[in-house]
Amino acid sequence: MIISTGINELDKMIDGGLRTSYCYAIKGTAGAGKTVLSLFITHGALQKDIPVLFISTEVESDKIVEYGKSFGMDLQSFIKSGQLSVEKMTLKPQGVNLVQTERFDLSGIIARTKAKLQKINAKLVIFDSITAFFAEFQYEKTARSNFMDFIREITNEDTVLIFTAESQVAEEYATLEEFLVDGVIKIRTELKNNQLIKKISVPKLRSAQPTHFENRFIIDKKGVTIFRSEHPPISLIEEEKTGIGRLDELLGGGIPTGSVILIEVDGETNYFPLFLTSMYHHLSENKGVIIHSNVHMYSSKIVEEFKRSKSDITSHLNEGNVVFIDKYNRSVTAVEAREMSQLMTTDDMISVTVELMEAFAQAKQKVVLFGDLTDDANILSESDFLRYFALQSFNIKERRAIAYSFINFNAISREILARLRTTADIIIRFSRVEYNHYIECLKSSTGATFLPKIVKFNDTVPLIEIIG
Amino acid sequence: MELKVMFFTSPTCGWCPFVEGILKKIIDEVSHLTLEIIDISKEVDKAEEYEIVAIPTIILPNNQRIIGGADEAFIREQLNFFVFMGQS
Ligand SMILES: Nc1ncnc2c1ncn2[C@@H]1O[C@H](COP(=O)(O)OP(=O)(O)OP(=O)(O)O)[C@@H](O)[C@H]1O
Ligand SMILES: [Mg+2]
Repeated sequence: MIISTGINELDKMIDGGLRTSYCYAIKGTAGAGKTVLSLFITHGALQKDIPVLFISTEVESDKIVEYGKSFGMDLQSFIKSGQLSVEKMTLKPQGVNLVQTERFDLSGIIARTKAKLQKINAKLVIFDSITAFFAEFQYEKTARSNFMDFIREITNEDTVLIFTAESQVAEEYATLEEFLVDGVIKIRTELKNNQLIKKISVPKLRSAQPTHFENRFIIDKKGVTIFRSEHPPISLIEEEKTGIGRLDELLGGGIPTGSVILIEVDGETNYFPLFLTSMYHHLSENKGVIIHSNVHMYSSKIVEEFKRSKSDITSHLNEGNVVFIDKYNRSVTAVEAREMSQLMTTDDMISVTVELMEAFAQAKQKVVLFGDLTDDANILSESDFLRYFALQSFNIKERRAIAYSFINFNAISREILARLRTTADIIIRFSRVEYNHYIECLKSSTGATFLPKIVKFNDTVPLIEIIG
Repeated sequence: MELKVMFFTSPTCGWCPFVEGILKKIIDEVSHLTLEIIDISKEVDKAEEYEIVAIPTIILPNNQRIIGGADEAFIREQLNFFVFMGQS
């Protein structure tokens, strides 16, 4: 039986998924994300009705449930329905004193684990972590060598066993457990451009080709995501530019026409420098610019910002090269705007946009669309929103236009973000660490992806530059 | 006062019969001490209740635990130290 990890990209890295009767190790330094990844794998299995036994050696079981809750998982309901069992297991329960000798085996924890897994018919057992578990043994070597029995007995139950293990920063050699397991999933933290980034790889995989490359591993409020971390682009045939020199270069010369670019920002990162620089560039090529206005992106603000950056777009405005589709009646305040969301349906939006695209096409002008999706995501129902984005993207491709869609990823659900990412051709993500801003590319149609690079903001166009 | 020593054993445990013999011998000598032997392969609920991880585990009346097999001197020493201390 093959069990999906619930993370598509990770499944691909381990030859389609976790195999029952196999044992996997998740290795990583402290804080790498071993527990978080285990939680997501647990949740992924539960959602496919696969019962899970989660053994925690570090924290009490209610802490694990709480940890899940911080990522929006309702583990309690799975416990109630008998699909999940979360157990704290430790050599040294609270209030107990120990004297230890070297002559023991682990049949106690083996028997308990077997009983627990048989009770719920678990197909997946998580053991988080062996490091904390072994730390309580005075004769750690004996415990480690006896852990082999644990692995054998549990995987014999036709289950997947995953244990987590803390690795040392400079650990280059394989540890004992690595020889015993069928697969090793490794999370590594590295400092790149002054930003700590995480990478995930699979250095060992039995009966399949291990993946000899590292992928970008991202943990945020929404959970974990895996993306190819850095890939050189293939060269483009028909390309457009974003107008941000280094970005175009990193993307393999530019962006293909028909691209839908998703730009992910947190609520506080200002995306206007990128937006305005691109818009200015496209206008300078005499393209038609359509802007789906909302409370973050509207005509007077855009004109004002251009003035501040000493760039004149008056002629383009006068020639009608910039069109604002004002969905929510811009004269009202932000709060009222939300209430007036019915002014124009999404279908109206799409058809007006398509009409405009056709008008520009008649004038032999290519079209670039800009929009901030955040409000739409919040106002519309999930299905309406996704339909809207899909339809819009379809029209962009069909008419060989370009769309820049901005989204505050903190304001939408993980599922929605995942769907947007699937539809988008290019994903650009902004991040921040203290006062530094970074930009990275998680996906692109040329295959190009790159890790976070430092961003510099200027007062005049180009308002944004990428360093390095 | 009646005091109980619990001894957790399993069929896989090579040292257990030896330790069990020692425990029986010691406990026979002490009137207020009883011994409960629990084979965790038959009584996994007890293993769960007492959160047993390693075998053998001896639980002394004051919640002190001896993890692993030991010889007579060691076990007597532990019993003297933790159980009889201040009692005799
Ligand atoms: N709700 C959250 N939002 C964003 N990031 C989070 C969230 N919760 C945890 N993290 C990140 O996840 C990481 C911790 O992950 P995790 O607890 O899985 O580490 P670990 O590898 O199990 O470490 P340890 O060895 O200490 O057990 C931290 O770097 C933290 O920044
Ligand atoms: Mg952890």
